[in-house]
Amino acid sequence: MTQLIDMKLNGIRKKVETKDNNLLLDLIRDKLDVKSVKAGCWRGECGLCTVLLDGKPVKSCLVLAAEANGKDVKTAEGLAPEGQLSRIQKLFVEKAALQCGFCTPSFILTAYYMLNTNPNPTEKEIRQYLSGHICRCGTYKQMIEAILEYAKEMRQEKEIPLPQPSRKKKERKSERSS
Amino acid sequence: MSFGSPYLTLPEFQYLKPATLQDALQLLDEHKDEAKIMAGGVGLLAFMKERLVSPTYVVDIKGIAELTTLRDEGSKGVTIGATATLSQLLEWGPIKERYRAVWDCASQLSDPVLRNRSTLMGDLCEALPFVDSPTPLLIFDAEVEAASVKGRRWIPVKDFVKGLAEVALEPNEIALAIHLKSPPENSRSLFLKHISNSEFSVVNVASLCANPSQPENRIVRFAYGALAPAATRVSEVETIFNRKAPLSQLIDEAIEAIKKSAQPMTDILATAEYRAHILEVLAVRALRELIGG
Repeated sequence: MTQLIDMKLNGIRKKVETKDNNLLLDLIRDKLDVKSVKAGCWRGECGLCTVLLDGKPVKSCLVLAAEANGKDVKTAEGLAPEGQLSRIQKLFVEKAALQCGFCTPSFILTAYYMLNTNPNPTEKEIRQYLSGHICRCGTYKQMIEAILEYAKEMRQEKEIPLPQPSRKKKERKSERSS
Repeated sequence: MSFGSPYLTLPEFQYLKPATLQDALQLLDEHKDEAKIMAGGVGLLAFMKERLVSPTYVVDIKGIAELTTLRDEGSKGVTIGATATLSQLLEWGPIKERYRAVWDCASQLSDPVLRNRSTLMGDLCEALPFVDSPTPLLIFDAEVEAASVKGRRWIPVKDFVKGLAEVALEPNEIALAIHLKSPPENSRSLFLKHISNSEFSVVNVASLCANPSQPENRIVRFAYGALAPAATRVSEVETIFNRKAPLSQLIDEAIEAIKKSAQPMTDILATAEYRAHILEVLAVRALRELIGG
């Protein structure tokens, strides 16, 4: 049996046919050719297959492709326009919060969601929130630094509503408008 | 993509997503054992990958609006719908304020990302020995509301888990919601668990206490789980604390009663001796925290 899926992937409407027993992970990687979503353990332990389903992070190895019908799916590719990086992605690079990079998109998506719901997290809260993700290179410390830095920038942005003439501010502004 | 191993793909099945409860009940009545209900799917899909279950039909109940409910009924208690996710439950005020043991338990289940999918009912219906949710539900006299095409019934949680991966649902029944009775006034509750070197509990305890310093109004409830196939509420503890005596003496008596009632098992996670010891440690910790003494 097959299902007809009408979904949004990174803002673009997709209509695809999928088998009933296909996972959302299979659909995104194989049919829709988005490769930032990785397959690791296939049983919800490593977190590498994380996507934002209607804005919330879920592990796509435990979601049926058919369940995405009518939903909005976002992957790391959807955080910034083609060829550009979002601020949190840049901070991961600046803080060297990766080694092999295999797990990076999943950590970025979960951190992105967490900071949108809690813009002022403590280090302990970040550690707890990322506890469903595994990085075999062990760059957790640098990732937490990058996330804390991003949170700090977001807070400063809130406290000072007027545009600041700093270089960083300009960069961020152009990102958002584009 | 798959590596060709049976552990990574799902067996063949037909996906059904009814929009109303009536449709879901009809489907289940028609297919009975051949159908499996899916809410978050975290447990079901993992079991299907392991080929522990291979249903012909998977019935997704997330399309049924009334099952997502989180309802505060004041003095009558609260209702947690079958498809309300653990993330929604943890953000819900009444659970955090009045049912702390349930909140403590839910906040330690799986991880924050999986909690966006998994549900309390799903955890309860897994009915494996190391599942945590029955223990805190027992101290709030929780009941499971189940429905079939013939009608609805309410099953107390203490009768709901019947054994290893076995719950008191007929093949044509759907578990709709969990009802928690209102806790006694001025009560506090907590949940503690001990995981050995895996992610699974070897012992968990939940306790509730109201008015510890007034013998005539004192209420103490205690339950433990994960050390035998089903969780147990120790009724002896409740009668012990109705007496007038120094609190430290009553706590000692309660601990003895808890130890006597427990029949810990030996399995891959821990031995019976280890579980018995941990039970005592957690029971002392829980009762002293709530009662003092």
